[in-house]
Amino acid sequence: MRLRLVPYFIRQAFQNVRENRLVHIVGISTMVISLLIFGTFLLLFYNLDTWIHGWGNTLSMSIYLEEGIDSGTEKKLVQLIRDLPGAKIDEMVSKKQAYNNLLRALGKDSVVLQGLPRNPLPASIEVVFKPLNGERPDPGPIKEKLEKLRGVEEVQYSEEWLNRFEGLMKVVRLAGFIIGGLLSLGVLFIVTNTIKLTIYSRQEEIEIMKLVGATDWFVKIPFLIEGSFQGVLSGLVSLLALYSGYAFLAAKKADILGLAILDFVFVPLPYVLTIFLVSAGLGLVGSFIALGRFFNL
Amino acid sequence: MIQLFHMFKNFGPNVALQDISLRVRKGDFVFVTGPSGAGKTTLLRLVFGAEKPTSGNILINGINLNRIRRQQLDLLRRKVGFVFQDFKLLTGRTIFENVALALEVAGERPSYIRKKTHLALRSVGLAKKELSYPLQLSGGEQQRVAIARAIVNDPLVLLADEPTGNLDPALTKDIMLLFRTIHMKGTTVLVATHSRELLEETAQKQIILNHGRLVGEK
Repeated sequence: MRLRLVPYFIRQAFQNVRENRLVHIVGISTMVISLLIFGTFLLLFYNLDTWIHGWGNTLSMSIYLEEGIDSGTEKKLVQLIRDLPGAKIDEMVSKKQAYNNLLRALGKDSVVLQGLPRNPLPASIEVVFKPLNGERPDPGPIKEKLEKLRGVEEVQYSEEWLNRFEGLMKVVRLAGFIIGGLLSLGVLFIVTNTIKLTIYSRQEEIEIMKLVGATDWFVKIPFLIEGSFQGVLSGLVSLLALYSGYAFLAAKKADILGLAILDFVFVPLPYVLTIFLVSAGLGLVGSFIALGRFFNL
Repeated sequence: MIQLFHMFKNFGPNVALQDISLRVRKGDFVFVTGPSGAGKTTLLRLVFGAEKPTSGNILINGINLNRIRRQQLDLLRRKVGFVFQDFKLLTGRTIFENVALALEVAGERPSYIRKKTHLALRSVGLAKKELSYPLQLSGGEQQRVAIARAIVNDPLVLLADEPTGNLDPALTKDIMLLFRTIHMKGTTVLVATHSRELLEETAQKQIILNHGRLVGEK
């Protein structure tokens, strides 16, 4: 291809866009909405994943103490726990506190506790283990070690619900792929039809160009630029809208989903680039498909 | 320049041309004539490569149209100008842009395009109407624009399908004069027409078709 034709192709492509303004506005708007749905999903997924991994890296343990433990043994135990690598005592819960917590948690149903002859709940020490070298400490050996200490009745940790969350994330990830795939197909369909409409509107011109000796590529390139432009513009607008939405929610402390206490971050640059490139790529592929069957003159 | 060997063309069950063999030499001016439905347009479209023969061969300047690839055909079309009965002009473009299109698709430089387009329009007497749009022109003027577009890249062959079919006798004379001028510059010209008046006034070679057969040459 001769380089001096590049301005001609670009001029031609933008002339197409101008002349089929309405078709392009509808096409780009629909693409933006589809990309925005996907982007929102990605944003929520990314944040959820980050939070879960954050929690997953921190190990929380509840160490339940034996009934009637003397204060000397308890002090020793506390010191031993503090000496464990990465351990930090989050809270010391006395028997009374545990009872009160349960009362509060049961609310109206707390009457069930009234018939009890004595407080059956053990005192406990809530311990948080910070990640060591970026990884969550292995809970098994810690639990084993703690349970051997004098004054410890039982040790429980947050493994089970973490596993459940990770299972849930797998489902969410799969749903993401399905939603992404379906939306991509939808976007491809939109671009293909938008370009088809502009081809129809210029069919006479294409015919005449072919009759005066235009090669297929000479006719096709402006349409490919047009499709890519549609993809690029849709990608940019949807990312801008996604960021605006994110900034608005972040400023409002992101009360949605009751996650206000957590950091709400925007998707990282590789994700942004992926959305943009996928959008531009779908524009190009869509116009390729649309052009496929128009060159039999 | 143009050679046809035992060429047949069918459109489904309908036979458009049968067993046509003929030869047009370089620099000839030939009328393809015959009644409506004789196969004149089909013959021109086959020579232009817009249709493929059902059987037989067509050679343009030694190139067999049956054996060339699509892209080569596009390049060959730059050397074969075609003037259509319905002009085939783009109404949304000025006449300058319509004529320049034939050079733009060939990837010529803008300065060359400007110069050649201006020359072509001057040669058909429309230099002063460069910025007009086709629908602002008369039928005869529109046909001249179509001729300017067909000759702007100095084709070896000029094909014209009923170029005066929509024109009155005075304009017909003008257009024919234009074709003769182009022919005198060395271009091989093939004009399809069923106009008896036109043929009576000419001493040029004639190929006569009837019901898809070559029935005579004059």
